[in-house]
Amino acid sequence: MPETKSQSFDESQSAPMHKALQREIQLARNIQMKLLNGEKPELPTGEVSGISIPARLIGGDYFDFYPLGDGRIRILIGDVMGKGIPAAMLMILTRGAFRSAAGAAQGPGQTLTMMNDAIYKDLRKLGSFVTIFCADWEPATGTFVYANAGHSMPIVVRSDVGTVTLPVLKGVMIGGLPGQIYKEKTSHIQRDDLVFLYTDGIVEAQNAQGEMFKLDRLSGILVEQSRQTAEAIQNAVVEKVNEFTKGLPQKDDITMVILKADGDQRGV
Amino acid sequence: MFKYELIDEEATTVISFEGDLDIDATELMEEEIAPKLYDCSNIKIDFSKVQFVDSSGIGLLITLIHHLRERGIRVRIFHVSDEVRIVFEMLQLPDIMGADVLPEFEHS
Repeated sequence: MPETKSQSFDESQSAPMHKALQREIQLARNIQMKLLNGEKPELPTGEVSGISIPARLIGGDYFDFYPLGDGRIRILIGDVMGKGIPAAMLMILTRGAFRSAAGAAQGPGQTLTMMNDAIYKDLRKLGSFVTIFCADWEPATGTFVYANAGHSMPIVVRSDVGTVTLPVLKGVMIGGLPGQIYKEKTSHIQRDDLVFLYTDGIVEAQNAQGEMFKLDRLSGILVEQSRQTAEAIQNAVVEKVNEFTKGLPQKDDITMVILKADGDQRGV
Repeated sequence: MFKYELIDEEATTVISFEGDLDIDATELMEEEIAPKLYDCSNIKIDFSKVQFVDSSGIGLLITLIHHLRERGIRVRIFHVSDEVRIVFEMLQLPDIMGADVLPEFEHS
């Protein structure tokens, strides 16, 4: 019977199909990891570090560094709505928009404006959006100019003071409304400050009891580790989140970017 | 786990959401809740039992509201908890969804 034939054909194809799918997801993961974890920019002073840990094989979080060639560096962290492969595809779209805008835009506000102009229609068509925090940082002077498209504000830890708050800046997420003009604010990052940019996957990481990692716990770790190198701080946060979740699969991707103005190697 | 309850009060349909609004609510929202609401003309969403919403949940909500309004259905969200209000305000949802959808919020 034709139906039986067709059914047996499908069954015989399912194992190779599954294997091919697995292989393609793995390849997609490799591409994403290579794009995300590119070379860290060399800075005359200060240091940067970043990591993204997808909740599934691939994720929708994104961070990037774009040296502006005049001692400033443009930094971006973003969270694409959704998880897994669909979010990863939109993350690539976001990356393309950032890379195109970053070279032409005067500042972080214009970068977000250009990104929204470029991908708003696509995101609306797909019913998605991206939250982004973007900043221009000049480590030599400490000037930190930032713009925000619906993302969490960074945490700043100041030695001997603890956490300090940057003036809050709001903005509609990318893909939220057309023709948005993103405002900028300017702050000053001191020589021994730690600036921690993150996506909500960190503070919303859950343990088996359903408790969340929360902002207070994260801030405590950053205060404790603030004199370490950017990479050591990053490793400490990842370790603490892992200790908390005990390997429980997470719903959201975890991404962080760390900026250290002094960039020295002092231990606590 | 995300749940909902639908009550018809004369000309208004009240839908109460309960639980975490995140990616796990996708199928329920898209395949069950949305089609049920398409026949209504006036909807109130009670958000009082939603204590957590993440970016995926916000996306689901925006898409739902967008599809309802496209069909000429009046929809308003009430009783947003403090935790969720912070997220809504950070994302400027009154601007995105329309101030009339979130009457408890100040329009910027």
